[in-house]
Order: sequence, then structure tokens, then C-alpha cells
Amino acid sequence: MALSQNTLFLTLEEMHTIQNYFQKIGRDPYDAELETLAQTWSEHCGHKTFKANLIIDGQEVVPLYRRLKDATKAINHPRVISCFKDNSGVFKINDQYGVCMKVETHNSPSALDPYGGAMTGTGGVLRDIVGTGKGAKVIASTDIFCLGPPDLAEEKVPEGCKHPRFILKGVIRGVADYGNQMGVPTVNGSLHFHEDFRAKPTVIVGAYGLISIDKAQKGEPESGDLVLSVGGKTGRDGVHGATFSSAEMTAETEKVNASAVQIGDPIEEKRAFDAILEMSAQNIIKAITDCGAGGFSSAVGEMGSKTGVSIDLEKAPLKYLSLDPWEIWISESQERMIIALSPENLGKAQAIFSKYNVEGTVIGTFTDDQQLRVRYNGETLCDLPMDFVHGGLAQLSLEGKTEKFKFEEPSASVLQKNNYNEALKTIMGNYNVCSKELIVRKYDHNVQGTAVQMPFAGGNHQSPNNASVLEPLPGMKQGVVIGHGLNPILNRLDPFLGSKWAILEAVANIVAQGADPENIALLDNFIYPKPDSKYLADLSRAIDACVETSKELGMPFISGKDSLSSTYRRGDKVIHIPPVLCVSAVGIIEDIEKTISSPFKKSGNKIVLIGETKPELGGSIYYDSLGYVGTQVPTIDTKLAFQIFKAIHQGIKQGIILSCQDISEGGLISSIAEMSFGELFGTKIVASVEGMKDYEWLFSESPGRFVCEVAEKDMGILKTICDSIPCILVGEINLEQRIVVELNQKSVLELNINDLKQEWQAPMKKVFG
Amino acid sequence: MKPKIALLYTEGINRDQESGYAFRLAGGETELVHVSELKSGAKKLANYQILFLPGGFANGDHLFSAKIWASESLAYFGDQLQAFAQDDKLIIGICNGFQCLIRTGLLPFNHLGKIEATLTHNASNSFQSRWVKLKIESSNCVFTRGLEGQIIRTPVSHGEGRFLAPEDELNKIEQEKQVVFRYVDEQENPTQIFPANPNGSTNAIAGLTSPNGKILGLMPHPECNTIWNHYPNWNEEKQRGGECLQLFKNAVTYF
Repeated sequence: MALSQNTLFLTLEEMHTIQNYFQKIGRDPYDAELETLAQTWSEHCGHKTFKANLIIDGQEVVPLYRRLKDATKAINHPRVISCFKDNSGVFKINDQYGVCMKVETHNSPSALDPYGGAMTGTGGVLRDIVGTGKGAKVIASTDIFCLGPPDLAEEKVPEGCKHPRFILKGVIRGVADYGNQMGVPTVNGSLHFHEDFRAKPTVIVGAYGLISIDKAQKGEPESGDLVLSVGGKTGRDGVHGATFSSAEMTAETEKVNASAVQIGDPIEEKRAFDAILEMSAQNIIKAITDCGAGGFSSAVGEMGSKTGVSIDLEKAPLKYLSLDPWEIWISESQERMIIALSPENLGKAQAIFSKYNVEGTVIGTFTDDQQLRVRYNGETLCDLPMDFVHGGLAQLSLEGKTEKFKFEEPSASVLQKNNYNEALKTIMGNYNVCSKELIVRKYDHNVQGTAVQMPFAGGNHQSPNNASVLEPLPGMKQGVVIGHGLNPILNRLDPFLGSKWAILEAVANIVAQGADPENIALLDNFIYPKPDSKYLADLSRAIDACVETSKELGMPFISGKDSLSSTYRRGDKVIHIPPVLCVSAVGIIEDIEKTISSPFKKSGNKIVLIGETKPELGGSIYYDSLGYVGTQVPTIDTKLAFQIFKAIHQGIKQGIILSCQDISEGGLISSIAEMSFGELFGTKIVASVEGMKDYEWLFSESPGRFVCEVAEKDMGILKTICDSIPCILVGEINLEQRIVVELNQKSVLELNINDLKQEWQAPMKKVFG
Repeated sequence: MKPKIALLYTEGINRDQESGYAFRLAGGETELVHVSELKSGAKKLANYQILFLPGGFANGDHLFSAKIWASESLAYFGDQLQAFAQDDKLIIGICNGFQCLIRTGLLPFNHLGKIEATLTHNASNSFQSRWVKLKIESSNCVFTRGLEGQIIRTPVSHGEGRFLAPEDELNKIEQEKQVVFRYVDEQENPTQIFPANPNGSTNAIAGLTSPNGKILGLMPHPECNTIWNHYPNWNEEKQRGGECLQLFKNAVTYF
């Protein structure tokens, strides 16, 4: 059992399946065979929960993964080139190129070693892009972290866990060191803080690529083709990475599983990519994939699943001697790619390797007997039929039951105030709202010369954009816009509405810079507590939200990843993270000149609120700042949201909307403040508020809403574009450096904008200053 | 004549795309030349008019920034570098490329193999990616002809950009007017104050030329501000970018 619990992490039922198989064929399994099955069948690689038969609240429902795939199929978007089958999804830019999209998590390694975990997480997701089709070029990366608050009291750090501040600094340094050295601009990201991430952080890293449409599909290896390992050597680092990361974290995880964390070397990866891109240009790659979780066992096993493959493992280049053969087979040492190559192209490949100083080694051949055969110096390590490796695992049957958490709603006397100055200052200084500029400055975001709209803009480069726009090839004129959305706290309150909010937030972020709502693809990352009964039911509701919302918006999910082990357990103590659905969105921009930045541009211009504000503040920052969670998560009619997205797009395209921000955490007034920070403009906000309280109008986080800057002369055109969509004039930009709000002829807020900016910048200065 | 520009490449160089694009926009013809191709003799520097050392993290900046790149260049094709620098040709190194020019001794004084200054860790002790303003000083630098006194905006993206030199060398650099770019504040005065001076360089030095004006090295990235949409606030008509293209045009029209 020790073997099962600490390294293989197989269930009893899975152990029985393996036992039965070997009894049937009349021999004992080799170590490497057990390891291969443990890797392939791990939650990390096998996505057992997402494929399982489900009964939720007594009703049989369609498996999670199939629901998502069916929705994408039903949407049938003409730009989808490849979805849910390769290392990344591919969405068409034009007839020649597509954009690749992949977002990964690296939670377990980052909990043990934040720097190493974030580094190798980044390295891994970049390899997913290069390992798409017959090779793609990485054009951008993103990073999203959910952590305990940096000022968490020391005694609250659970045993065996690191302080959130240490994790925060480590993961940022890891992403920066890897991405910067790779020459990949890190263009988008966010940070979310909550105490229940103190045991296990959520570390999300994304990558985007440019691929030739004619190289977007993998070829099929044929019998006699070579299995080529390219890039790094193999060491003992990352042995059991896939299996350990599929398990819950305990106080002992660090002691027992430290060697499961891989070690990254960006320059090794950079030169390997250089060589691979040249091989791709010379058209000699039949198929390519990266060695990620499970190492060779998974990469080779997958690529040869239809043909069979025979590996001579002693040929694999090693970092050092003394590795056991089974360790070589499953090690997750970084910077390694597997390529299927016709033997006649070996000479061309070797010339490229020699030019780029890259190691490329033939470690075996593809066969036609559908066996996964591995030898070391002639001695058999593994001889399993591919259909047992990939199909031997019985589909799980899981049951879930809905349970709701109950949170308190604050009383009217706590909420309603005469003056909201202090409330706004507290909101702007909230960890989930405050400026993250000091972090962004550690990431290279203009390398490759593709920047069109970057994370910060405005006169002092300190006012945030909602998303980033890139011109993937300089001079191309077309662009891609990259953004994301998530709100773990809303998911805890209501997994359906919280997930919907995340999708609308991701889309709103890219629409605010100029994305066309007709040309958007999405990607899901589910990071959930271990899906026991309640969290399985929540997960199922979250998938419902994805399916329904993506269909209503006509925006397909084209790739995704689930990581369902974010529970910490020690004795009676259990910590579940607030469930995360991080939705990434990519949009195709026909003309990069038709994009805008978010900060206000000119004194005298009007400030317009587009979209419907509802008095639903459950899970809002305003409630949080008062010490409450509340009950009602923001709702929205998705069809109306789509109409709003189209109106914003039209307004930007016609040059009517000069600056724009979507409204999210902190509400309307914090968006207006952020837009003012760029030039330290003043604003006078005047509105009559009906059917809701002042604080609801100021701080509601209803999704699908935007603050826009419009010249007075263009107000008529904007009204015409908006038609029946709620669109109200709420104020004007001035040079007085004060944010002033009058609601129903009563002054409710007045602050110096520079003072407010200091509050907004202070929290990260404390951490990184 | 359309000059040929060699973009010197090695593992870890990552600013090749925008560097090549800048010179092609300026009318040049660019080619990636790998250190391994010069080592093997497959390519020769003599076939090019301009040598461009782009930015990146050559060999991971192990030991020091650009140290291995510079040592390999000296060892494998030092003679070709020597000939190139003595010929009527141009050399430009940006960021990691500037670090390489300093570590080969091509800058500040074109003494190949002699290290007479350094670029070291930023005073802030952290990598910085941000926009800065540079003032173009009067010098005999070919790249900045006709631009003296102007202010240009460029991004910086580096962790080791702080220029330091011994007092005698520094005095000589200043007396010979070898400083081409200085970091300036909002009032357009040279500054030591972060973040306008992103790395704490002595005398706000951002870039230098050799005594003959034909070798230029700088930490900031003018190749990332060669078209209108490169400057983050291009949405405002008056703030459109692209002013750095002229540096590359000057180099191309020199031939």
C-alpha cells in the first residue's frame, strides 16, 4: 500500500485491474510496466473524473468532458482548426496562419518549490505550443495565480506548506526567469488572494503560438519511422510528477515527493525550439509532442498508440549515470520533445541539430504490432499492448450531491453610508483590486516586437489595460487579443453563476480592447478541490455554465485542462480551495489600428456606462471589505451580454469609443478610477439612481458592463449603436485631479485621484518595494 | 546599394525578429548568422556591411551577461571581428548585444580582447521592463547623425544594464563625446533617479559609440519603436511611435 499511496497513487480497483491482466497473461509485471500504467492512468494524464459516468443528485448526466466537446461541436465555428485533440487548440487568423492556445496549471510543484514549479510550468506550456501539429512558434505567455494573502499570520500557514508571500515571490521570479530568457512576451495575467489558497496555491500559466495552417494537424507515424528525442537530457528530477500532482496534499508531501519537482533550463528549451522550428520549416516533422507528465512513457506511448513502438532506452542521453531504467522511462526532466521522423530525413535533422548545438537522439522506432515495447540493453522493461495501456482503465462511475455553503448577508446599517470615500480607498487597496504593475515590470512584454496594446498604458504607463493585443508577425496588420477571467469566491457561492461570470469577464476583457465577438475562442482551466460528492456536483454545474454560455455567445472552447486535487488534509484538518474556473479568451483582430487602450484620453469627453447594473453584491469586493461574503452572485442575460459586446466592438471600430474598461472586481467606480490613473484626470460623475442603493450602483460587479469614453459630438452615434441596450451618460473627464460623485443631487464621494492612486499602488509596494 | 546585415545569433538570443524587421523597414537586407556557422566557416563576416548583435540571454547569461557569447566570438572568429571593426563598416549591439560589445572590448574603445568597462546588475537589483526617454547626445556616431538633441522613447527590458567604468576610462568616454544616449526625466535632463534611469547607470549612460563613431551599443530597445503602434499610447495621435526607425535608416544609407 505504501507504493500505491506515495508514488503510484493507483486506486485499489485500478491495482486489481492490473493484477487481473497479469494473471491472465501468466507473468508478473515489470516495474516499468506498473509505472507506465500509473502515469497513463493518473488523474493528471487520464482525466478520469472528466471522463467518468456521473450521477448528480440521483440523475444520470453526460460526462463532463463530452459535454464540453459537444458544445464546441454544436457551435461549429468556422475558425476552429483543431480542438481538444492536440497539445493546444488552434483558431484561424487568416488563410495562412492560426493562433494556438494552451493554458496549464502547475499547482503541486509550485506548492513545494514555487520558483522551480513556476519555471517548469512555464517551460511545459511553451512546449505544448511547439508540440502542436507539426510545430508552432510561441508568441506570448500569461500567468494567473491564486494565493493566500501575502500578510497572512505565520501561525495560519498549515504544516508542510510555505508562506504565501514566499510562494508569490517565487512563482513570479520563476515565470519571469523562464519567459524572459525564452524571448516570449508575458502579456497578460492576474492575482487572486484568499486565505483558503494558503495550503495549496493555484498556479496557472498559459501560452499562445503562431502556426501555419498547413502544419496544424499531426501526421501519423508509420512503421519504421524513427522516435527522436530532442533537447534536454534525462535525470532523476520529476520522477512521479504526474502521479503525485494527482493526489491531495498532506503535511508529508514535501518530504516524500520533493524529487517529483522538475528542474528547468530555459536556454536548453530555447535552442531546442530554434532547431524544431527550422525542422518544421523544412517540412520534416511528421508529428511532435512534448515530454511532460509521465515523461517518455506518456509522450512515446501516446504518439505510438495506433502503431506500436519499440524503444531502446539505453540510447536516451542522461544527465548523470546511476538512474534505474524505469526512472529514465518516467522521469519528467524538462526541455525534451519527441518527434516522429522518416528515416530518410535523419541527415537533414542532424545538420540542424549541429547548427543549433542541440542534442537529437533516435531512441526507437514505430512498429505495426500495437505493442508498447521498451528494452534496456536488450533486456525487456515493458511489453504491453497499446489497447491495455490506453483502454484498460475502466470508466469511473461517480456520484455527486449538491450542497450549498451558507454565508451571511451584511445588514443595511453596515452597507449604507453618507460618504463612500473610505470605502473606495479600501477597495482600491484590496489585494484583489490593487495595482500589479510592480510584478508586470519584471516580465518582458515587448520582446519579439509584436506589442500593440500592452498591460499598462497612459501618460505614466500606470493605468491598466484589460487585455493585450499582439501583431504576431511584425507588419501582418492583423492581431490577436489575449485575456482571461476568473472569480473563485463567486464559484464557492454559486458554481453556475460564478463560472458564467468568469466567461463573461474573459470575453469582456478582450472586447474592451477591440475584439470582435464573432471571432473569439475560449479555453477552460478547472482547478477544484478533490472532487468528492459536493465538488463533483459543483463541477457539473460549472460545466453546464460553460456549455450554455459558450453556445449562447457562439464562442467555442477549443482546449482546456483540469486539475482536481486542490485539497489539503492533515488529520481532521481539511482545506478546500475556493473552486477555480479560469477562462482564457483569444480574439482575432482584423486591423490592429482598430484597437484601443483603457485609460482616459481627453478632458471634456463624456463617460458612459453601457450595460445593466443589478443590486447583486454577493462575493463582491465591497462586501469583502466589510467582512462579508453575502448570498446573491451577479446574474446576467447572456444574449443581452452578446448584444453589448457587439455594440462595444462597433463603437471601437468606428472610432466612437476612445477608451474602455469592463467592470469587474470593485465595480463601476473602481473602473473609472483606474482609467483616470493614466494621466491623473479628474472626473465628475453625476447620476440619478433608481431601484437600488447608492453603494449598489457604485460597487456592483454585474458582468457585461463597460465604462467608455466618448467625445460629446459622438454621443448620438453611440446611442444609435447601442439602440435598446442600456447606455447612460454618467459623467465627464476634467483636469481637476479629483474624482467627484453626485448621486440623486447628493455628493457621496470626493477624492484626490493621486491619493487614490497611492492607495491602489501601496499593497504590492509593500510586498515588492 | 542595399547593405547586408548579419544578425549574430547564438542560443538564447531572442530579439532577432524585431531587429531584423527594423533593418528591413529601413531598407536593409538581413540574415541570421549563427555563431556555429562562423565557427565552422559556413559563413564569413566579410560578406556583410553591418553586424548586428541583438538582445536576449545568450547562453543563459551564465557567468556574466553575454560572457560566453563574447568569449566564443573572440575564440572562434576574433580575427573576423577585428577586420570588421577596422573596415569602413558598422556594428550595433543592443541590450545583450551591447553587453557582448563591452565584454569583447569592441566598446568603449575598440580594443578587441580588452575589457575596459562593464554592464552589471541594475541598482534596483531586479529585471525591469518599462518605457524610458533617451536624449541623443552630440557625437560622431553614424547611427544618430542629424538626431542630436532629440528625445526618443524606447522600452528597456534587462536585469544587467548598469554601466560602470573606472574613472580614467569614464573621463575619456565623456571627453571624447562617446556617450550617444542618456536616460532623461520628464524635464529631459539626465537623471540617476529610478525609474527614469532604470538601472542606475553612471552619468545616466544608456548607450555609447566607439571613438570612430562606427560601433554603437545601447541597453534600451530602439528596434521596438520603429512603427506607430509600438508606443503604448499610440491611440493618441500625438503619441504615435516609430521615431527610432531613423537610427536604422542612417546605418543603411551610410552605404
